[in-house]
Amino acid sequence: MAEVTKIMMAGEGGQGVQSVAQILAEAADNEGREALYIPNFGVEQRGGVSIAFLQISDERIGAPKFDIADIIVALSDRAIYRTKQYVGEKTVFVYDAGIEIPEEDLPKGAAKVLAIPALEIAKNELHPRVFNVMIMGAVIAATKVVTDKAAKDAIEKKLGYKFEQNPKLRDLNYKAIDKGMELV
Amino acid sequence: MSEKLITEEKRVFMTGNEVVAWAAVAAGAEIMYGYPITPQNEIMHYWTRLAPKYDRKFLQTEDELSAGFTTIGGVMAGRKSFTATAGPGNTLMQEPLSMAEAMRLPVVTVVQQRGGPSTATVIYSQQEVTLTTFGGNGEGMRVVYSTATHQELFDYTIKSFNVAWKYRFPTFVLGDGYQAKMRESLTLYDPEQKGVDFVPAERFVGKPGTPGVDREPGHYRNTYNVEEELYDVLQEHFADYKKMAEEVVEYDAFDTEDADVVVVSHGVVSRGAKEAVERMRKEGKKVGYFRPITLRPMPEKQLKEVADKAKKLLVVESAQGQFAKLIKDVIYGSTTEIVPLFKPGVGITTEEITAKTKEIL
Repeated sequence: MAEVTKIMMAGEGGQGVQSVAQILAEAADNEGREALYIPNFGVEQRGGVSIAFLQISDERIGAPKFDIADIIVALSDRAIYRTKQYVGEKTVFVYDAGIEIPEEDLPKGAAKVLAIPALEIAKNELHPRVFNVMIMGAVIAATKVVTDKAAKDAIEKKLGYKFEQNPKLRDLNYKAIDKGMELV
Repeated sequence: MSEKLITEEKRVFMTGNEVVAWAAVAAGAEIMYGYPITPQNEIMHYWTRLAPKYDRKFLQTEDELSAGFTTIGGVMAGRKSFTATAGPGNTLMQEPLSMAEAMRLPVVTVVQQRGGPSTATVIYSQQEVTLTTFGGNGEGMRVVYSTATHQELFDYTIKSFNVAWKYRFPTFVLGDGYQAKMRESLTLYDPEQKGVDFVPAERFVGKPGTPGVDREPGHYRNTYNVEEELYDVLQEHFADYKKMAEEVVEYDAFDTEDADVVVVSHGVVSRGAKEAVERMRKEGKKVGYFRPITLRPMPEKQLKEVADKAKKLLVVESAQGQFAKLIKDVIYGSTTEIVPLFKPGVGITTEEITAKTKEIL
């Protein structure tokens, strides 16, 4: 049976976790792989933590949701508390270094707990708006589920019309992916 | 008619709601009637995007009662018509759907189950099984397909129109909020290129000629004055249904021959069940998989055979036993133990099904 990579991304509404998960899923699909992406919809407009479940494999994927993730990216303190339950001994848990959270509240028993300064770099070196694209770069580097080329093609497909009007945006997004990949 | 929506097979990556809209266009549906409710809204959204381009129509009504009755109107006018709903909307729609049952109208309804009872959640469940199979004040004279993948959503939405118009029983595609909102790949195709013959729609009212002179009058009744008259009509319906059942029943099963535990599930839950059983078989565990695709009519004979051979059935569903009731009814007389894994309104993962199966092996 083919390996399935289980990815969870969680954050506040507006942080763009669903967009990133969808772009990653489409990038995998464009490469001819199987992908299944489902948002936990219905909560984000009401102030809940927005979670994206994403699975990528070479064969058809089973249940849409899962108990234990291979990688979790949490982008707010609430997201960290909310996603802890999906941590197993093989899970890589990534969170933004800017989140202030007591050491003892970080998940226990993960394979790796990684704080990355994505928000800071996005703000200071790129643009806060590409924060989520940096996160996508980090996920790609950590999981290798798709190539950075496939991710860039998927972004092009989604935002190409905006890039036509302002080519600088394309560079900004591509740079964000590369920067994100360097963080992991 | 405008050119075709799908001219050659193509792989796409989209949400289940979008799949349903594409399938309905591909199936030759001419009009959708509907009222918004999560998680089926995007069926309407995508349909209204596609409809004008392919000469199809849409009517938004003031509630689900009207959506159901206008769908009936469309069908009686001889148009392939459908609606889509969920949760409390499905509850309201049972009134017109009972009428469709009484009058043998080929109404197609797509249900994307959400949490219940009442408004509950907009997210997901398998709690509309009883309502969709046996809702209304009738006898469940319906065809209900419970889909598990986007490919099936496409295939069975197309099939529903043909089955409805061929046998003249209301036909349902029973999906859920997960299938509605998730994205995965599937292959779209033109059904006619694949050799699917469309059963033509036919007018119920407004036929040419004088009734009683040129043709039989059309009697489409949902009202009777005499008990015996109703009874006789229903006997005809039951006989037609029984005859149809053999032709439309569908199921999926594997590794049941020597299995000690057979995992029985339907719809999206069966994806996890399938994965769990496949994995446990690789480990040498004697487990099997059974999944009715039609919940009405049920694959009675096959399920009974499986139940008689297995030591235990693990019935897994995102409801508190609605699906299990259908199974118990079918396998009555079997002494095989039924072990429940019920999680009403909540998704069930491969890991949970695996753990429970191993526990009872």
